[in-house]
Amino acid sequence: MKRLWTVFEFELFSYIKNKSFIITTALICLIIGLGMFAPRVFDMSDLLGTESLKEKEGDSGEDAKEQALGIYDESGYFKDTKLLSDVFKDADIKSYDSAKALEKAVKKEDIKAGFYVIDDLHYNYYVINRNMMDESTYMFNEVLSTIHKQAYCVEQNIDYDEFSKEYEAPVECKEKILGKDAADSYWYCYALVIIIFMVIVIYGGMIATAVTTEKSNRSIEVLVTSIDSKYLLFGKVFAGAVAVMFQMSMILGCALIGYGINHEAWGDKLDIILDIPANVLVVFAIFGIGGFLFYAFLYGALGALVSKTEDINKSCGNLQMIIMIVYFIVLLQLTNIDGIAIKICSYLPFSSYSAMFARVGMGKVAAWEVVLSAVILYASIFFVGWLGAKIYRMGTLRYGNPIKFTNALKDIKTHEK
Amino acid sequence: MKLEVKNITKTFGEKEVLKGISFSVESGKALGLLGRNGAGKTTTIRILMDVFRANQGEVLLDGEKFDIRRVQIGYLPEERGLYPKRAILEQMVYLARLRGLNKKEAADNARKWLKRLGVEQYEKVLLETLSKGNQQKVQLASTLVCNPDIVILDEPFSGLDPVNSQILQDVVSELIEDGKLVIFSSHQMSYVEQFCEDIAIIHHGEIILDGNLTSIKEEFGKNQLVVSDRRLEKEAFAGLLSERLNSLAEVTGSSKEDTIVRLKEGVDRNAFLKALIELDNVELEHFETYKPSLNDIFIKVETDVSGVDEADKTEEVAKEVE
Repeated sequence: MKRLWTVFEFELFSYIKNKSFIITTALICLIIGLGMFAPRVFDMSDLLGTESLKEKEGDSGEDAKEQALGIYDESGYFKDTKLLSDVFKDADIKSYDSAKALEKAVKKEDIKAGFYVIDDLHYNYYVINRNMMDESTYMFNEVLSTIHKQAYCVEQNIDYDEFSKEYEAPVECKEKILGKDAADSYWYCYALVIIIFMVIVIYGGMIATAVTTEKSNRSIEVLVTSIDSKYLLFGKVFAGAVAVMFQMSMILGCALIGYGINHEAWGDKLDIILDIPANVLVVFAIFGIGGFLFYAFLYGALGALVSKTEDINKSCGNLQMIIMIVYFIVLLQLTNIDGIAIKICSYLPFSSYSAMFARVGMGKVAAWEVVLSAVILYASIFFVGWLGAKIYRMGTLRYGNPIKFTNALKDIKTHEK
Repeated sequence: MKLEVKNITKTFGEKEVLKGISFSVESGKALGLLGRNGAGKTTTIRILMDVFRANQGEVLLDGEKFDIRRVQIGYLPEERGLYPKRAILEQMVYLARLRGLNKKEAADNARKWLKRLGVEQYEKVLLETLSKGNQQKVQLASTLVCNPDIVILDEPFSGLDPVNSQILQDVVSELIEDGKLVIFSSHQMSYVEQFCEDIAIIHHGEIILDGNLTSIKEEFGKNQLVVSDRRLEKEAFAGLLSERLNSLAEVTGSSKEDTIVRLKEGVDRNAFLKALIELDNVELEHFETYKPSLNDIFIKVETDVSGVDEADKTEEVAKEVE
C-alpha cells in the first residue's frame, strides 16, 4: 500500500504541477465565477424574463425605446397606435402610408420590423433577419385576435367584456406531485450526463497518454522492475480520479458560490441546473466516480497496447465509441426515464454511471436497485482493474505496431494457462 | 549472496531465444555477460528482472527462488528511460521510494550519487535539458539510488565519452569492492576484462564459454607462445615457422607485430627456442608466453562456433536437397 501511495502521489503531482491543468482549472473557475455576476452588469431581463436593470433603477423606460416597429393599416383598426404601444412596451411605433413605404423602412433598418394589416384576420410581417427569440408575430396575433373577437361581439350584439370573462376564465390547478417532477430535474440530469461524459473522455485520454508516454520514453522497464505493475496502473487511475474530483469541485464550487450571491439577479432561473437535491448528488458522486474508474482502467490498459502517443486514438477508438453510444442513449432516454432501455442501461457497468443517477433524479427507482447497480459497477471496476493491470504488464516492452485488444486478451489467457 | 541461473529457456512465438542458460555469480564479484547482438544477453537479464518469464529453468538466490521484490536491485536497462519532463531529483526520489526507501533516505541517496557522478548541479532541472552523457549519468545514479545489493548493468558504457567512461569504471570498481553482486553486459571487452572475475559468453541463446576469466585465459594461452623476429615481417616469419618447425609447433594466429604458435604435444618451450635460434637468418626479438585478451578469446570462440553453425546450416541445406 505504501508503494501504491508513492505512485499515487507522484502521478497526482504530475497533474497539479502541470501548468495547463492549473491554468485551465483557474480559467474555467474564473469564467464561471464571473459569469454568475453577469445579470448584475448586463441587462439579461429579456433572456431571463426578469425585471430589467433600468426598471430596477426606477427608470420607466418611456424615454428610451430600444427598438422601432412600423405599421401600415388597411383595416383601420390601428388608427390609434396606443393599442400596439401597450403590447410592445419597449418599441416606438411608427405609422406608414403604404406597404411599400413600410417595406422600405424595414430594408433601410429605420425600423426593426413592420406589420402590414390587411384585415382583422390577415397581416404581413416584414423583417430582414428573424432571430430565434423573435416573439413579435405571436404578440401581434394576440392583438389582432382580440380585435377580431371585439368586432365579432359588436356584430353579434354581445357584450365583449362578459364574453371575454367567460371565454378566458382561468382554470386553477393545484399540482400535488407525490413523486418527482421530471420537468424540474430534467436539466440538471442533462447537465450531469454531459459533465460525466466529458470527464471520462478527457481524463481517460490523459491516463492513456500517461501510460503510452512511459512506454515511448522507455521508463516503463525501470518502473515494472521496481514495483508490481498493478500498483502503477491503480496509482495512475486513482490520481486521475482525485484530480477530476478536485477540478470538478473547484468549478462546481465557483458556480454555486457565484450563483448563491447572485441568484436573485438571475431570477432563480438557474435553479433548474444548480439546485440539485442532495440524494441525486450523492448518487451522482458514487456512480460518477465508479464510471470514471471503470473506464480509466480500460483507458490505461489500452494506452499500454501502443508505443507512440499518436497511436492512442487507434487503440482507444472502440472504447470511445461505446462511451458515445451510452451518452446518446441516456440523453435520448431522459424523456422516457422509466422506459426499459434506460432501466437496462442502469445495471450495465458500461452505462450505469450515467443512467442510474438520471433514474434517481427523474424517475421511479427503488433503493435496492441503486445498491444492486452500485455493487455490479464496483465489482466490475475490480475486474477491469485486474484485467487492465494484466494488459498493462503484458504490453510492457512490446514495441512496434499497436497490439489489438482481442490479441492482448488471448495472450493473457495463454499466459495464465 | 549467490545468484544462480539454472537452465533457463525462453521462446518468443516460435523462436527459441534462450536454450538453457546457466551461470552463477557471488557478492563482491562481477560476472561479464558477453555475446554478439541478438545472442540473448538482454533477454537473460530481463528474465532475471522478471520483465519476462522463462519457459523453463529457475533463478535462485542463496538456494531460494529469486524474488526481485525481496532484495534491492539496481537495474540499468539497455533501453535507457526516465521521465524527460520531470526534475531529476524528483524522479530519482520516486524510483528509490518505489524500491522501499523513505523520502529522506531517497533524497539523501539521490544527492550522494548525483554528486559522485558529477551532476549534482542539475538536481532541479528537467532531464530533457541535459546532454546525452549527463542523462546517462543520471540514469546510472537512478540505478544506484536504492543502495542495491545486486547491480545489473546492461551495456552501461554505450554512448559515454572517455571521461565519463572512466567515471563509470571507477564507480563499478567501487561497487565490487563494496561487496555488491554485479552482472555486467557489454560489447566492450576491455571493460569486462577490467571488472569481471567470471564471464559467460552467450551465442544464439546458449552459453558457449563460461568460468573464471583468469583460468579461461590460462587455458586459451596454454602451450602457446608469442614470437617475433627483428628483421622478418610477421607474415614471412609465420611462413618460415610453418615450413621449418611444423613438427614442433603450429601457427595459430598473430597479434599486431607477433606470431602466435602452439607447441605440439610433448614439445617443451626450451626445445622450441633452441630450434628457433638454430634457424638460418633468424634474429629473435620476442619470445614469451601467450596471454590472450578477452577480445581474442571472444573472437576465437565466436569464430569457432560460427564455423560450426555454418557447417550445420550447409548440412541442413544438403539434407533438404536430398
